[in-house]
Amino acid sequence: MFTPQTGGAWYGYIAGAIVASIVLIVILTQLPQRARKWVLFTVTFLGGLFYALEFFLPTHEMMIEGNKAEGNFLTPFVVPMANILPALSSFAVGLGVINLFQLHTKRVLKWNLDSINSVVFFVAMILMTVAHIMAKRPHPSEFVTSLQKILFDGALQSLDATMFSIIAFYITSAAYRAFRVRSLEATLLLATAIIVMLGQITIGQLLTSSLPDYLHIEVVRNWILTKVNAPATRAIAVGLGIGSLAVGLRIWLGLERGSYFEN
Amino acid sequence: MEHATLGVRILVPLFSLCIVAMILVARKRDLFIRRIQGLSAIEEAVGRATEMGRPMICCTGLGVEGGVEIVTLQALAIVSHIIRTSVRFATRAILPVYDPQMLPVTEEAVREAYTLEGRPDSFNSEDIRFLTNRQFAFAASVAGLIAREKAAATFLFGYYYAEALIMAETGQQVGAIQIAGTPATTQIPFFIASCDYVIIGDEYYAASAYLSREPTQLGSIVGQDIAKWLILLTIILGCALVSIGAATSSPIGANFTQFFK
Repeated sequence: MFTPQTGGAWYGYIAGAIVASIVLIVILTQLPQRARKWVLFTVTFLGGLFYALEFFLPTHEMMIEGNKAEGNFLTPFVVPMANILPALSSFAVGLGVINLFQLHTKRVLKWNLDSINSVVFFVAMILMTVAHIMAKRPHPSEFVTSLQKILFDGALQSLDATMFSIIAFYITSAAYRAFRVRSLEATLLLATAIIVMLGQITIGQLLTSSLPDYLHIEVVRNWILTKVNAPATRAIAVGLGIGSLAVGLRIWLGLERGSYFEN
Repeated sequence: MEHATLGVRILVPLFSLCIVAMILVARKRDLFIRRIQGLSAIEEAVGRATEMGRPMICCTGLGVEGGVEIVTLQALAIVSHIIRTSVRFATRAILPVYDPQMLPVTEEAVREAYTLEGRPDSFNSEDIRFLTNRQFAFAASVAGLIAREKAAATFLFGYYYAEALIMAETGQQVGAIQIAGTPATTQIPFFIASCDYVIIGDEYYAASAYLSREPTQLGSIVGQDIAKWLILLTIILGCALVSIGAATSSPIGANFTQFFK
């Protein structure tokens, strides 16, 4: 069931999966709210149980997909289980696209100054989808290849890089506000930032080179980062880890009241 | 594949037991949870948006690995409470969504928030918008949304990366009151610099309990605190045993640390 199929079997599996999905969706929509929540709870619990048992059960050396690895009797099913997720997410991408189409169609139909953005959205989306599909076909024409390169490498990546570079300016404005000396905390923050920044560059190291070793700015900077900053960050990480475990447990065991299992 | 070591096999079930036990206790008696300033400011932020007659932007972040995951669900739980408050004040809230898998979940949660407040007819599905699942395109879209709508309040919960500052600074520029919370330790400083209130660390996971005062969640928070006390005691014990081991040349400290590797 979890091995790739070819030829007629492939078509059979695709058709079977589509029929099974439709049947499942119809059954789920027909079920009363309470029963549907029980189905959700059961699937969530079994899914969580699978990963929990696979993680906690003792392991031994075994062959997984032709390679030697540590695992238990559930380990060979981890990859097939993970392969189900892209199938689910592909359905979700469809939902996302429908949402975008609904929103922007309404805006174009209403037509005001902002509607031009929605027109640009439609043009870009259709153009990029067509160019990418055409470019992935065997022996694409030079025009299609160039168009795809212009849209994806020339436009999209450059726009991504532009947004990323804007962060530099935002960091400057945020740092200016944070480091204004208005309170004891802000002053401490400013002093620490100056030490860490000067400790990072050669001029700072040069400034303190005549002082005893333990007062060299790079030593102080290192002390701040490893003895003050790192423990605080680790303490936050411990709290977050436990918090994440608690939320996971509540969802897994159906203890969470609210949107998912219980009203 | 990663698998549990002996230490993990003992500690994780022990912590889980503490959490589940306290959830059961909380269903029978009241538990106390301290004040979290950032969360207390939510009503103030919603009230300000109402007074100004401008919308609020509630973002649930990008997530760690994508899809429906705990960090984003927690953000959605917090945002659901914000939406309930906004429904009471009749203030519009716009929710940009990064991951298409989160779109139906978000829609359902928001619809339920409207229903719980007795205003299901006010729910507008257009306010829950899937923008894109590209990091900087999403940042640009959210920043544009904040600027165009002149948001009076922005709520940034969930997992963020470098784009956090782009959104938060845009909110700062339009004069929005901003409340943020993220488990991404690298982004907390940026939020602190740009936002009015930031919830940090495990306050993020305590937020929904604090807002709802729901016994299950309050019990879970107390269970987490017990687990943290156990970790603290283990750290102190570890420090003592390693020091004793070093002073007496005994393997006791090494054996203890080996247990957790």
